[in-house]
Amino acid sequence: MFDKKVIRRRRAALAVFVGLSIALLTAYFGESGGGVLHALQRGAQEALAPIETGASRALKPLRDFVGWVGDSFDAKRENKKLRGEVEELRSQLAEAQTAKRDVSQLRGIVRLRRQSGYPQGTQPVAARVIARSPTIWYSTLRIDKGSNDGVRVDQPVIASGGLAGKITGVTGGTAEVTLITDASSAVSAQVMPNGAAGVVRPEVGDPNDLLLDYIQKGRRVTENTTVVTSGFTSSRVESLFPRGIPIGRVTKVDLDEVDLYQRVHIEPFADLRQIDLVQVLTRRPDTRSAEVPVP
Amino acid sequence: MNLTVGALVRSGLLLLAAVVLQLSGFADLRILGGSPDLVVLVVAGTAYYAGSVSGCAFGFAAGALLDLAAGGTMGVSSLVLTAVGYGVGRFREIRDPAHGLLPVPVAAAATLGFVTTFAAVSFMLDIGATVSPLVVRDMLASTALDALLALPVFALCLRVLRPALAVDPFERRRRRREPRDTGPLGLRGLEV
Repeated sequence: MFDKKVIRRRRAALAVFVGLSIALLTAYFGESGGGVLHALQRGAQEALAPIETGASRALKPLRDFVGWVGDSFDAKRENKKLRGEVEELRSQLAEAQTAKRDVSQLRGIVRLRRQSGYPQGTQPVAARVIARSPTIWYSTLRIDKGSNDGVRVDQPVIASGGLAGKITGVTGGTAEVTLITDASSAVSAQVMPNGAAGVVRPEVGDPNDLLLDYIQKGRRVTENTTVVTSGFTSSRVESLFPRGIPIGRVTKVDLDEVDLYQRVHIEPFADLRQIDLVQVLTRRPDTRSAEVPVP
Repeated sequence: MNLTVGALVRSGLLLLAAVVLQLSGFADLRILGGSPDLVVLVVAGTAYYAGSVSGCAFGFAAGALLDLAAGGTMGVSSLVLTAVGYGVGRFREIRDPAHGLLPVPVAAAATLGFVTTFAAVSFMLDIGATVSPLVVRDMLASTALDALLALPVFALCLRVLRPALAVDPFERRRRRREPRDTGPLGLRGLEV
């Protein structure tokens, strides 16, 4: 192993092969595409092509098997990645749907305020619903605005479409809204356009049906007419709700011969089961602009 | 290694089979981003059993054939595989290891040396583009795969080259064993 001749032979062999490799490299880089080495390469590739084709076919099952194993790993990784993307997209979709819903409700509120006859100068404070009563009647809500924002007890609350209820409790940063579907609620109202007056009371258990009570039989009330707050005032008492806020649409009129008063069924304009945004009317309206147009 | 016609033919066939299989099958076996390199394993296996001179000659021939068949830059694989063959052969000559699992780390070191040096040479010569860090992952994957394939490929190399080897590794291993116990003294005479 330590024989000088052997060492010299070994080193010479290494030097020869390294030198040959470098010579090959230099020649390959130095010649054009039609040079000897390039031609040799093309010839070798052509000569080996049939063998390579056969070997490739023979090794196909092995390649397929390894590919299947690799694909399984890739599929697991891809599945994990796609699950992450699905979660992210779901979150984005939920955000977008929430925003869309909020926009829809805000538009409804704005449209409501632009209606002719709607009381002006009420200084509305927009609020988001943060909690609902857990009963099936959805009779109370909690909103994220309170006395710090100018919200006080008994102020009217509107939602997209129409009247929602009134404030019945206030803290610094939150307030409780009792909806017009609550059993304790009573709103003085008028049927438009004939002006028949009555009191809107809930039909407990059905938030989509309100009753307009105490309408004299003589006053003709027809279906699909609109019911708005009457804003009743007298020398002693005054209605909490300003005149002209839409409440709902007449869906049915019961004409009982025995009863003294008609029972008018109203479907509220505001979807009281799915309110997310409301406005609290923090000021009494300007009476000059709160006149309900009577045809 | 005794340089006979039979040895040359056997080595040539082994080399051709390795290059063909590498190009037509093993290069497509992508596992964790890398693929096993059969040519490096065969060069390392040959150098491991035949020595440094045969190793570097075999490495040069394997590289030249690989460059010819694959259409790469002529001389790059030859240069790197010559170094790999020489290195593995010298390791065997200097250390003269006997452990049966030694082909595994030898193959891993040879492959790692090959892919690293090949990358360095290619990068110096004609790669002008930005290189992704994933190349390192692929190199490590190839190294691991070659380590896994080392034992069968080295065994195959030994089987093919054994008739031409100057020193049979199994013979040498047998020589190293402790002399067998010949049994009780009273029976010694019976063995004769």
